[in-house]
Formats: sequence, C-alpha cells, structure tokens
Amino acid sequence: MKKMMKKALCLITGLALLTGMLTGCGSDKPTLKVYSWGEYIDTSLLRDFEKEYNCKVIYETFDSNESMYTKIQSGEAYDVLVPSDYMIERLIKEDGLQAIDWSLIPNADGLDEAVMGEEFDPDNTYSVPFFYGTVGILYDTTVVDEADLEDGWEILRNEKYAGDIYMYDSERDSFMIALKALGYSMNTTNKDEIDEAYQWLIEQRDTMNPVYAGDDVIDNMISGNKAMAVVYSGDAAYIMSENEDLEYYEPEEGTNIWQDAMVITSDCTEVELAHAYINFMLDAEHAYANTVAVGYTSPVVEARTKAAEEDFAGNSAYLPDVEGENDEVFRYQEQEIKEYFAELWTKVKAAN
Amino acid sequence: MKKKKIAPVIYIILCFIFLYLPIVVTMVYSFNSSKSLTKFESFSLRWYENLFSNGEIMNAVYVSVTIALLATAISTILGTITAIGLSKSRKVLKEVIINVNNIPIMNPDIVTAIGLMILFSSMKMEKGYLTMLLAHVAFCTPYVITSVYPKVRNLDPNLANAAMDLGATPFQALTKVILPMLKEGIFAGVLLAFTMSFDDFVISYFVTGNGVSNISIIVYNMTKRTNPTINALSTLVILVIVITLVVINVIPIMVRKKRERKAILIEKPQELKEE
Amino acid sequence: MKHFVKLIRPYMVWAVVMILVPLLLIVLYSVTTGGNDLINIQFTLENFKKMTEPIYVAVFVKSFQLGLLSVGICLFLGYILAYLITKFSERVQSLLVLLVTIPMWINTLLRTYAWICLLSDNGIINAILGLFGLEPVTMMYTDFAVVIGLVSDLLPFMVIPIHTSLCKIDHSLHEAAMDLGANRFQTFWRVTFKLSIPGVLNGIIMTFLLSISTFVIPKLLGGGQYMLIGNLIENQFISVGDWNFGSAISVILAFIILIAITSMKRIDKDEIEEE
Repeated sequence: MKKMMKKALCLITGLALLTGMLTGCGSDKPTLKVYSWGEYIDTSLLRDFEKEYNCKVIYETFDSNESMYTKIQSGEAYDVLVPSDYMIERLIKEDGLQAIDWSLIPNADGLDEAVMGEEFDPDNTYSVPFFYGTVGILYDTTVVDEADLEDGWEILRNEKYAGDIYMYDSERDSFMIALKALGYSMNTTNKDEIDEAYQWLIEQRDTMNPVYAGDDVIDNMISGNKAMAVVYSGDAAYIMSENEDLEYYEPEEGTNIWQDAMVITSDCTEVELAHAYINFMLDAEHAYANTVAVGYTSPVVEARTKAAEEDFAGNSAYLPDVEGENDEVFRYQEQEIKEYFAELWTKVKAAN
Repeated sequence: MKKKKIAPVIYIILCFIFLYLPIVVTMVYSFNSSKSLTKFESFSLRWYENLFSNGEIMNAVYVSVTIALLATAISTILGTITAIGLSKSRKVLKEVIINVNNIPIMNPDIVTAIGLMILFSSMKMEKGYLTMLLAHVAFCTPYVITSVYPKVRNLDPNLANAAMDLGATPFQALTKVILPMLKEGIFAGVLLAFTMSFDDFVISYFVTGNGVSNISIIVYNMTKRTNPTINALSTLVILVIVITLVVINVIPIMVRKKRERKAILIEKPQELKEE
Repeated sequence: MKHFVKLIRPYMVWAVVMILVPLLLIVLYSVTTGGNDLINIQFTLENFKKMTEPIYVAVFVKSFQLGLLSVGICLFLGYILAYLITKFSERVQSLLVLLVTIPMWINTLLRTYAWICLLSDNGIINAILGLFGLEPVTMMYTDFAVVIGLVSDLLPFMVIPIHTSLCKIDHSLHEAAMDLGANRFQTFWRVTFKLSIPGVLNGIIMTFLLSISTFVIPKLLGGGQYMLIGNLIENQFISVGDWNFGSAISVILAFIILIAITSMKRIDKDEIEEE
C-alpha cells in the first residue's frame, strides 16, 4: 500500500513541480514587478520596454491606494509602485521606499518644475511624477443648470438632481468633498469636523441616493446616464473627448490636487532596471503615448503640450486649474485618524 | 393531453430565455464591429483579433485551464483514495473526517478564501500559481470525496478480499477491482471538481498574486470599462464548454444504445434502470 | 482490507493544514488586534462588539433579506420548472436537464457582465422598451438588478436537486393516491411535494449559501454603495486592511450558516423519520 501512496505523492509533487517550472521560473531574464493603477498606461509600452532591456515586466493593477497598501502588507513584493501623494508619504515614513538615483534618469529634465517638490516628498528624494490632476464635477450641460454650479460642492446635495449623480467610491475623495463643502481642510484631524463631514455624506445618501461608482463611471458618463459625476480630471478629459455634452468644473471651495508618482520599493532587487523603467516612462514620446491613451495630464512638458494642442484641444479637463487658493494636497494620516475615516466610510457605504 | 402541454412549454421556454439571455447577448455582441453593447452595427471579428493578441488574457486562459486540469487530477486522486480508505476506517475517525470534509462545502466561499489567504500569508508563501493551485485542490477535493464515498460504501467489502485471496496484491485489488467499480462516482467527482475550479472567482481572487490571474479575475478587472474582448472570450469559453458537455452526455447515450442493441440481439429485451 | 485504512493519511494531513488551520487562523484574527503582525497581538472582543453597531447589523439583515428573497424566487420558479420537466419523456428530460446545467458551467462573472449590458440605462432592455416608445427604466444599481443577477445565477442549483428527487418518486404512488380518492391538488401536495422535500432542502441550502456570501454580483450590479456581508468582508480585507474585523464578520457568517444548515438537515431527518 505504501507503494501506492508513494506513487500518488510522486505524481502530485511531480505535477506541481512541472507547472512551477512551466510558469515563470523557467526564464533567467531579469524581472521587474510593477504595481500601478488600472487603465493607467499604454500597455504596448511594456512590450517595448521588455524588448529594449531584454527583461520581463509583471504589470499588476490596483483600484485604490488602500488596496495596494493592503496587498503589500500581506507580503507581496514589488519593484516599482505608482501610488498617490499621501500613500507615498506613508510609505516613506514606514521605510518602504528607497531613494531615487536621479543620475540614472536623464529624461527627468523634461519634467515640469511646477509639479516637483510637493509637500509629501519636498525634495523628490523618493518619487518621480507620473500623472497629476484634480478632482472635480463632470456635468451634463444639457441637464445641469449652470447657475446651480455656483453652489460649489453643495450641488451634489441639490435635490433637483436626486438619483442623478455618481460619487466616487473612494474614502478620501468623498470625505474631501464633504470637508471642502463645509469649509474645512481635507487634511483635518479634528474629529468634530470629521463627524460633521460624515453627517454631510450620510444626509447626501439619504436625499440624493447617489451611486458610488468606480471606473464604471467612465462608460456611464460617456453614455450620458446621469447628470453629474465626481471624477478625476484625467478621466474627465477622456470622457469629454467621447461625449461633447459634458463639461468639467472645479468648485472654488477647493479640491484635491493629486499626484501619482513612480517610486522604487525598498524590497526592489533590480534597482537599475527600475530606474531604467522610470526613465523610459519619462521619455517624451512614451509619456505622450501614455497621456493620450488614458487622458491623464502628464508632468512631462513636451508630451503635455503636444497632447493639449492636438488630442485634447479645447478640453478643459486636460489642463486642470491647479492654482486655486483653497486647493490642497492629501497628506499622510496617523493610524488612529486613518482608522476613524475608514470606519466612517464603511458606514456611509453601508447606510441605508 | 396535447392541448394541456402548451402552458408548460411556454413556461419552460421563458425560463430558458431567462437563463440564456445573458449568454446569447454576450455571444451576439462579440461579433459587433463597434464598442457599443446596445447597437449592433455590423459583423466583425475585431474583438477576436484583440483577444488573441492580448497576452494578458491568453495567459489567464492558460492559468484557468491548467489550474483546473491539475486541481482536478490531484483532487480526484486524493479524494478517491481517501474515500476508499474512509470506508475501512473506524467509525469515530470516519465521522470526524467526513465532518471536516464538509467544512469547505458548507462554508461560504469568501470565508474559505480568507482562511487560505491568511494561511498563505502567515506561512510567508509567495502568492501566485502554486498558492492558487493548492487552494483549488483544497476546495475541490471535498466534492470528489462526497461523490465517490457513497459508491465505495455500496461496494461489497468481500470483493477486494476475494481478489487478494486469489493472489492479487493490494495495489492490484485496488486498480483492477475497486477503482473500475467506482467509475461513475469518480467521473461525477471529476466533472464537479473541474467546474468548481474553472468557475472559481472568490477564492482565486484572494489567494493569487505576482500577476497570476485566471479568467474570472481578468473579467472582474475588465468589467469596469466596456470591452467587447470579454465577450469574445466568453463566446469561446461557452463554445468549448457546450461542446465538451454535449460530448460527455452524448457518448454514454451512444454507448448505452449500442449495448441495448447488443442486449436485444443476445438476450431478451431488458429494462434499463435509470438513476 | 486493513491495507486500505492507511489511504486516508495523506488527506488527514491535508485537511488539517488546508481546512482546520485556516479556520483557526480566522478565529484567532477575530479575537485579536494588532493587524497582520502575529508578534504583537492582543486578545480582545472589540471586533465582535463592533458588529453589534446598528449599521453592521443592518448589513446582515439586508443580506439575509436579499438572500431569502432570491432563494424564494428560485424556489418558486425552479420548482415549477423541475416539475414540468418531469412530465416529458426520458430523453427530452435529460436534454432539458442538460440545458439547465450548461449555464452553471459558464463563468458567473461572464454572465453577470452580460446582465450589465442588458440592464444599464442605455442597455438592450431599455433599447427594446424605446422601440415601443416607452421611457427608459433605471435598473442598474438597484435591488432589482442584484436580485435578477442572483436568481439567474442560482436557478440551476435549485432546479437540479428538485428534479432529481422528483424523478425518484415512484409513479404508482400517484395512482394509489388517486385511487384512494385524493384529488389532483391533494395528490400533489401530500405525495409529490412531500417526497420532493429532500431535493427542495438541498436546493435551498445550495442557493442560500451562494447568495449570502456573494460579493461580486452586488458589486457589479449594485454599485459601491451596495453593501452586503460579502462586500463588507471584502472591504475590510482589501481596502480597509482591518483583517481582524474582517475575520470577526467571517466567523459570525460561518456560524450563522452552520446553524441554518444544521436546522435544515434536522427538518430533512424529521421528514424521513415521519415516513
């Protein structure tokens, strides 16, 4: 009987090993693991990069900074990440990143100085800008009365449009809207202010019955399914290029100026290749391909100018206003505040 | 009788429309030349071209298929030998194992998924193909055991003994006598395990990593934007499955017919009992 | 025959590692704080206490309501379908059963994705309504969409077990009941339905299990604000990163399911003993 068991075991381990060999372990090419936002790149560039540097790129995507962070916490190792501002600050504080060797990134000369040195990484020690933009309201000019826009973010609670809006399924951006509407800083740590914002969102749920959408908002707005949607400027630019009835609006109460940047993790073993990847993405031609493919604003001046003049001419969302005096950049949150927000956000979504 | 049958037939047709509507829609729009999922513009194969040139999707197909095949093979072997061993075990042990075996069947997928995810993380295993395969074997094996075990119980316990008395080694007794008699149960287990593995989303979603995704995960990530490439993929998957199922279901009927005919020729007509 | 007893040993090891340990880990996480670091854990019941907050209780209530509603609809539609199928000749029956099974083999996500195309504001159903000059109806992101998605996913799981148990009923019982003066309704209720209860219970358990833990269908068809237990758990693990609270919810869910299934099985047993 032992023989039988052994045979079975051999078979099982044999099969397991075989597949292990078939998938991945086989090649000795250097591998770069990149973790970035979904729909955030012209994927043909990855193949080009692989060819040029004779390597393999494993490209994975996430749909929120938080889910990216959780994945890393669960033991997953990546070489290059493309998180947003506050998450970069958090990773820096937790020693998750290694300093960029700028001498390996000659294409950095093409970057717009104006988007460098943001508060989350003042000297750009760790991060290289990839895309930037704002958050605003995308509205259907055939449905929304321009006069109502004067209410700023409060228009999202204008019962005229009840059942006709998409919020964005993101904790920090939703609270940003409520806090800005109430005239507070979106980086507040004052629990009374946060509670007030929570009430704002709960009341909005009750009266407006919004849909908390993810990327599905893109198709829905292209088809003109609802009157308004909270979107990132880059998505707005893409949607507006597909549907001419839409316009992008940034309330004066201020909004979130965000930046997604490429960073190298401290786990990264292919440091040189990681720098090469970053440099590759900053190449004016490649940056142009990316920005045209996804609609987000490139920090590479040459690519941005070309896209703004040719592909997104007259598209107000492609070059969003980042000079508003009430605008802010998201900052790192202490654990306690972060958990407080997370719990309230779960409650907002679960409320009925 | 004929008249009475109209209402039932309509009801059945309506039910099938309900079940097949999404499938038909998927297939039809996979041939649409435009991206729209509402207006059918003209016939085109562009989404199929897209599909085959999309390395990510093809890789997911490869992962889904190989994982399903391997998980089925492993869990069938593991499940069958366990079922055989189980029938000979002491009562207490038997009950304990059957109850433990029922846990993954009774537990909601998401709980199983999370348990395995925590397990792999705390063992510091790199998530990917291997973790996905292990997880699939973990939730497929119980189904194999539940479909094989009742057949083992119905076996005459003296059969194997008789074989061994006649000089067969235990291994021969197993492969020549017992296994052939369990064919039906094993076959049912194979089918069940394959479906479970091939269709799984939740468990794979939680235990995978390193860019390894199966069809379900790809679809989940792609549903956010309209992408008829998914429809093309679905259509192919549907075709393969329908063909396989038809073959699986038609062959036994043909075999049975042959036997029936033989039976008629050789003996007197015999009533065939259907399960 | 003792030779075969050893055959269960591999599975015993396997079951401990892949079934019991993950469950214990979930329980461990649910009664501790300290996140993913197993080194600095602290025992607490906070996670369970949090579950008693009205908002989370409401999530459970809503999940159960929706689950029961879907199971109810499946039972109603499925029983009639299964019953009508048994009225056909054997060959047609096996064809019809095959047709019911096929959708089960096709990826749930692919089918759900197709429902999005059908139900969205500018989707196919609204396009058809438009042809008749009717106003478009908002179906996506509503209870309706989620229930439709669930029912079409679960219906086969209800039809198959009911059909199996209906087939097992000896036809002479009907005749006997009729001969003894029962009318058609009485015959159906007292004989057919009663004897099909095991299948019905199996169907209910299967569909309930699947509907209560789903998170994909509500997420795709109901939107981000559609929070059921499955979504709550997924949310805690994937976006919030509070594995402890997520585990506590999983433990409660598993516990409720366990109670539900055990009581169902008891009904089943009582029925059989009554016979």
